[in-house]
Amino acid sequence: MKSKLTYSEAFTKLEELVEQLEDGTIPLDKLAATVKQANEWVAVCEDKLRMIQAEVVADADKVSKKSKGKS
Amino acid sequence: MTDSIKLSTLTQLIQDSIQSRFDGEIFTVSARIMNVKKYISARRCYLTMEEYEYGAKITEIRAVFWSNAYSEIEKFEKVLKQPFKDGAEITCKVKVRYHKVYGLNLDVLQIDVAQALGTLELERQQTLERLVKEHPEQIQLIGNVYHTYNNRLELPLVISRIALITAPNSDGQRDFLQELKGNKHEYQFSVTEFLTTIQGDNAHELILEQLRLIEKRQEDFDVVAIVRGGGSISDFRPFDDYTLSAYVAGFPVPVFTGIGHDRNQSIVDLMAREQKTPTKVAALIVEHNFDFENVLIDLKTRMSEAVTGQLERATERLEQAKRIIRLSSPRDILRRGFAIITHEDKIVVDPSLIKEGMEIQTQLMNETIHSTVTKKKKNEKQTDL
Repeated sequence: MKSKLTYSEAFTKLEELVEQLEDGTIPLDKLAATVKQANEWVAVCEDKLRMIQAEVVADADKVSKKSKGKS
Repeated sequence: MTDSIKLSTLTQLIQDSIQSRFDGEIFTVSARIMNVKKYISARRCYLTMEEYEYGAKITEIRAVFWSNAYSEIEKFEKVLKQPFKDGAEITCKVKVRYHKVYGLNLDVLQIDVAQALGTLELERQQTLERLVKEHPEQIQLIGNVYHTYNNRLELPLVISRIALITAPNSDGQRDFLQELKGNKHEYQFSVTEFLTTIQGDNAHELILEQLRLIEKRQEDFDVVAIVRGGGSISDFRPFDDYTLSAYVAGFPVPVFTGIGHDRNQSIVDLMAREQKTPTKVAALIVEHNFDFENVLIDLKTRMSEAVTGQLERATERLEQAKRIIRLSSPRDILRRGFAIITHEDKIVVDPSLIKEGMEIQTQLMNETIHSTVTKKKKNEKQTDL
């Protein structure tokens, strides 16, 4: 199942899931699917840290012509 | 008309009068300096000293720092972290001097830097008190820490979209971007630059202008960073400005400042999240994301341990069930020396059904014994096997 959650939603769900796993409330027959889902959420969070298209955008039209500061 | 005298005679009279009244006397005066002209290589500075009342100028006189007093200007700039320029208020020691060609002047001998520092600090305190008084919901002084709406805003778990207010082609801009790009964790960031003048008389207005632009797109940014490099004499007054400080205090996106200074914090620093330098702001953002990654790693470890534990417990329960089943099988029972009694091919569970003379079969591990019951009696006590 492809997750369309934001990373913060994925992170919250991941935290809840780990608690459920630690409490042993996930049935054994659902363990594999649960772990698969959890790993997808982990990937969403990790992507947030490293997969952003890196860019530096100067707001050229906003640059004041008066700007001469060199600090 | 009386007889005329030479102008030089008159100016000589003036000079003599002034000299006899002021010769050698030193005065301490407070004034606003204007028309400051510094000749750095000659180590000389010409200016006017002025006094105002209700906004109107009530007096003005020319003044000079000769080369033997020029170091006073350098001391002023170094200690106060602001340039010696028009508009500054100073208290200084002066001598009155009249020259027949150059006219009346004050020779400045010394600036009272401590007094100037005190005035600056007093103004700063007044601004802070006004901020707390006029924005009680957004700015509170608790202990000696200013809690503002902005510096209490929760940071997102990951900071990746940064609005950068800085001067174009500046050290601050370069240091900040370099620290972000070179981070050892290879985190990626999206930086949108809002370039403007960061110092000078109207810098606070220009910074405010950029903040307003950012506010219109506030959903696009995780944080705002206001940075500039340190180094030479810097003017910190824009960052003590009341309007800018109030705006930062109530700004809806968390603001980091890295404006490079070592004196007390500026007021904007106090209203935001302050780091001393652009590099430190960038490092803090990287560190913030690293903290998140550590939490993620911890969750993964806990998940793995929980799953492994659950599987191990399930396996253990399965093994136990298998053991019980195995121990309960007739074959295993026979192997351990027990026997099964049958009569007419039916297992005898109730011994009271067996009567003397009946034919029974005793099934052991490898053989079956056929026998006739000749005698039967109850056990005196419960068999204790």
